[in-house]
Amino acid sequence: MSYREHLPETEGYPRAAIAINALVAIAVTALVLWWAADFAVFYEELFRIQPVAEGANAGVGSDWTSGNQIAWLDFLIAITHAADVIMGVFILFMVFLHWGAFRRLASRMRQPGDSGSSAVAADGGQVEGGTTAGDATTAENAGGDTAGDDGGETA
Amino acid sequence: MTQLDHGKFSKMTTTFHTLLALDVFVLFFSGYSLMFNDELWWMVNLMGGATGVSAVHRIAGAGLLALIVFWMLMMVTTDTGRGNFREILPSKGDFDAFIQDVRFLLGSADERHPNARQFAGGTADEIPLLTYIGKGVVFIFAAELTLLTISGLLIWSKTGVMELMATKTAAAAFVTFHGLLGVIMLMGVMFHIFEHGFHPALYPVEVKAFIPRSMIPEEHDDDIEGTGIERLELAPSWNMASTVVGAMTVIGIVSVLLGSLFDEGYPVPREIAIGGGPTDILLTVGINMGVFVLLLGLVLQMYGNLLRVRWQKQLEQEASEPTTATDGGRVESEE
Repeated sequence: MSYREHLPETEGYPRAAIAINALVAIAVTALVLWWAADFAVFYEELFRIQPVAEGANAGVGSDWTSGNQIAWLDFLIAITHAADVIMGVFILFMVFLHWGAFRRLASRMRQPGDSGSSAVAADGGQVEGGTTAGDATTAENAGGDTAGDDGGETA
Repeated sequence: MTQLDHGKFSKMTTTFHTLLALDVFVLFFSGYSLMFNDELWWMVNLMGGATGVSAVHRIAGAGLLALIVFWMLMMVTTDTGRGNFREILPSKGDFDAFIQDVRFLLGSADERHPNARQFAGGTADEIPLLTYIGKGVVFIFAAELTLLTISGLLIWSKTGVMELMATKTAAAAFVTFHGLLGVIMLMGVMFHIFEHGFHPALYPVEVKAFIPRSMIPEEHDDDIEGTGIERLELAPSWNMASTVVGAMTVIGIVSVLLGSLFDEGYPVPREIAIGGGPTDILLTVGINMGVFVLLLGLVLQMYGNLLRVRWQKQLEQEASEPTTATDGGRVESEE
């Protein structure tokens, strides 16, 4: 491929390893699922729904809280609830943290329609016209594109 | 290691990321329409009722099993995989990055720490393969996916889980446990979508997970100090879009969290009845907002792949028609 000429040589994963590992993974999956299905895939209808409660709340195991006698399972569920809450609060904090950081970063960028010139040309368009002013505020650039080829200092 | 902002992952990793994302989205849509069936009744119907949803969930579950086995094998059997393990271990720099992010938010730091920088710009040389958030994502998602796969396999066979759990109700409780486990990942993925879709410099999607580093030319100025973000122009729609999606992400996370506490999901009722009362209506709206954020993530990740295809086409085009022939080479037009 000719366009590769100017691209870097990068370390990747060998094709053979990808192919072999993909095949092994599919085989392992098939075996594990066969085991999960009790080595009898056609033993029963897979998706049988057997309601155990009648009336408005009819459904599978709708009374599991009262019917579950396994202490460790109850404990696992309680622990998982706690983990959900703790991680949920942490993730929410992370959302707000990034939301705020993004707003701060956005305020440093040139605002839409700020100047007549467009931002960095994604296609690597050339810079026409010479230098931008060295200060961090957006220099009104008379010469069209300011692609990322000439220096502009940050604050 | 010099890499531009979007030259991060190998080709295999970008492909794997896409397959994993698609598979996990299908698992989320099918699994949580089961768990939150009274809020997402329309989604259950969309997938063919309880039977259809279970079938979709199992097929996607088989896909997940294959994907994580493949990934583990790649990490163990290849030099690249083993070499990358160092890159994901948390360091002191990651903790510093977290603290500095908080200070950056509060205005007492001027820049984000290199380990937190999503847009590296001129500082591409300084930044690690993964930000501190990226490392957290790798660890948390890996733990979640492993636990979900194991518990999912245990409930794959009804007879198997009954033998394991002694009673039908206990078996149903174990299914609930499986659903509650996934809530952390569900919330995490919503944050992941916001984080990589709404960075102002990279909006609407950060392409480093979609364009492999082998397709990124390694050239950047060394005379720029800092990232150079102040030279980029903000997209006109960013303000509104980031506010709306940020709000939806927050509401979605809060709603699925509350839903997981109040609404333990199993059973799937034979007749769908939306719970009465205003709080349930609010919860219904909120959970649906969360699902919308996931749908947006699905769209953005397909868009990331579209950008990769366009990028490759552009590279090929530039290679075949050199626009600036500095060496005086001829432009040959291809008919």
